[in-house]
Amino acid sequence: MAGIFIFSEDSALAKQLLTPALELKASLAQPITAITLSESDAEELAKLGADKVVVLTGGTWAEGFAEAIYSQISKAEGSILLVGGTLRGKHVAAYVAAKLNAGMTTDAKALKIANGKLLATRVLYAGLAVCEEEVALPAVATIRARTFLAPAPAPAAGVVETQSAEADSRITISEVIPTGDKGVDITAATKLVAVGRGFRRKEDLKLAEDLAGVLKAELACTRGIAEDEHWLPIERYIGISGQTVKPELYVAAGLSGQVQHMVGCRESKVIVAINTDERAPIFEAADYGIVGDMYEVLPLLTAALRK
Amino acid sequence: MPKCLVCYKWTLDEQDIKIKPEDLSLDSSRAKGKISDFDRNAVEEAALIVEKEGGAVEVLSYGTAAVKLSLKDVLSRGAEKAHWIADPSAENADAAVTANVLAAAIRKLGPYDLILCGEGSSDLFNQQTAPRLAALLGLPCLSFVQKLTVEGSTVTATRKLEDCQETATVSGPVVISVLSEINKPRIPTLKQVLGAAKKPNEEIKIADLGLKPEDLQPKALRQSVKGFVMQRRNVVYKESSAAENVAKLTASLASEGLC
Ligand SMILES: Cc1cc2nc3c(=O)[nH]c(=O)nc-3n(C[C@H](O)[C@H](O)[C@H](O)COP(=O)(O)OP(=O)(O)OC[C@H]3O[C@@H](n4cnc5c(N)ncnc54)[C@H](O)[C@@H]3O)c2cc1C
Repeated sequence: MAGIFIFSEDSALAKQLLTPALELKASLAQPITAITLSESDAEELAKLGADKVVVLTGGTWAEGFAEAIYSQISKAEGSILLVGGTLRGKHVAAYVAAKLNAGMTTDAKALKIANGKLLATRVLYAGLAVCEEEVALPAVATIRARTFLAPAPAPAAGVVETQSAEADSRITISEVIPTGDKGVDITAATKLVAVGRGFRRKEDLKLAEDLAGVLKAELACTRGIAEDEHWLPIERYIGISGQTVKPELYVAAGLSGQVQHMVGCRESKVIVAINTDERAPIFEAADYGIVGDMYEVLPLLTAALRK
Repeated sequence: MPKCLVCYKWTLDEQDIKIKPEDLSLDSSRAKGKISDFDRNAVEEAALIVEKEGGAVEVLSYGTAAVKLSLKDVLSRGAEKAHWIADPSAENADAAVTANVLAAAIRKLGPYDLILCGEGSSDLFNQQTAPRLAALLGLPCLSFVQKLTVEGSTVTATRKLEDCQETATVSGPVVISVLSEINKPRIPTLKQVLGAAKKPNEEIKIADLGLKPEDLQPKALRQSVKGFVMQRRNVVYKESSAAENVAKLTASLASEGLC
């Protein structure tokens, strides 16, 4: 069994995957093959430490390449596949894992080799608990964006080859509508004001926007605000199925602080909570809190900070 | 008229799981069971499709002996028949074992036109079952579906991804995973609850599925499970005057260098 493979249809994430791949290479002494669908990413992946880059051509729908990615790995009898943990990536990874009859760890935070197995740190119960998952080789792991930084260029660049692949033709993609506000990357914000179901109307989000304005913060939210109410784009919701952020300041207004949400922001430096319910779990997760009606508190806070 | 099968998981309600402060181990002695949240959306979606298009909804679950506790609930949500596999192997099953067992049961029970799952379970949230089932059964897979339409054998799904919405069409049979926003699961009426008791449920013995021992051997094993505790200051201002609380908070933020 030989070979560490990485795949992500997301250019930035593909590069980040090389960091854990290089660490695993140091323990396993196996070459790294990066599989990509993008000709333009290939060169860069080869520079950053991939010994070989395979560009698969023959389609644009990443999920449709799952079978082709599987055959790359099974041909080489690869031992590890790291996949960028986007939703598309998770689909591909689980498909390949099933074909390999391999174990797979979802959203791994740290990876190492121990006793000839892949040991990954991950969360359970949406973040209530953390555990180490020991996966026998061949092993598959998905890794979310920004879990690792991209590595520095390697001393020697790897080789690039292009192969045509047969994409899944059973599924036809008829329409792709980009969503969300391009350009705003809330994971890069140093301050966030997060809103929850305590807001009664979309217009009321103005109170949070005003606070965000004086703090120079971005708006974030809970799943319900984005997925059910559609008041904010889904890129702005934080949690196990949303974004993970680590800002300097996270102000949580009118959100209860359920673990599924908090797992996405609990590494923030300072967490501030504003909630009417003294027993809301958010207060346990907060550094500072105000028990009170945010409809009264937010304008006062905005005014106080403006001074 | 689609024949639908919904795979669901009976999980512990994480809200009732407590972290023991002594050793950070998890205390689930008070945790009740529930049908995993997004699997309820999958059952609801199948029920809605069948209300419109005709057909039938069956459900399938693999779990420990506790899975039997789910039957009444799941049958009151629109399913006509429940198939269940209760086996101690489920205790440590990983996504590979789960998919092996479910796929073997589907081969035995099927064929089905639509096989539905929730996006991920509320305990492990591995998000693997639907694509794994598709791989094992040789079927196409539509994951992370926010809207689903079935017309004859044509299935059209809107998938919601991080940066786009994508419309995909496939001619069934197909495996689908649904997002929570696809619908609002019904709260069963008294009549539906009473009706559930009369609906059939059938046990499948794991030994009858023709699985090899290695198919039941988890490849991913969870170790050293520890509750996550946050170290926070937990300073809460709760004077009756909002202005006073705000003044104190602003002073705190200033001391942290945040304003
Ligand atoms: C598998 C799974 C995955 C999930 N993933 C995510 C995820 O990624 N992200 C996520 O956010 N959620 C997720 N959820 C949902 C999560 O469990 C919670 O339901 C959700 O985070 C709660 O949102 P909320 O805090 O906005 O609403 P609520 O829990 O309803 O809280 C509203 C809060 O507002 C307070 N409030 C009301 N009025 C006022 C007022 N005037 N002033 C001040 N406070 C007020 C209330 O006291 C309450 O605490 C997931 C759930 C499941 C089952």
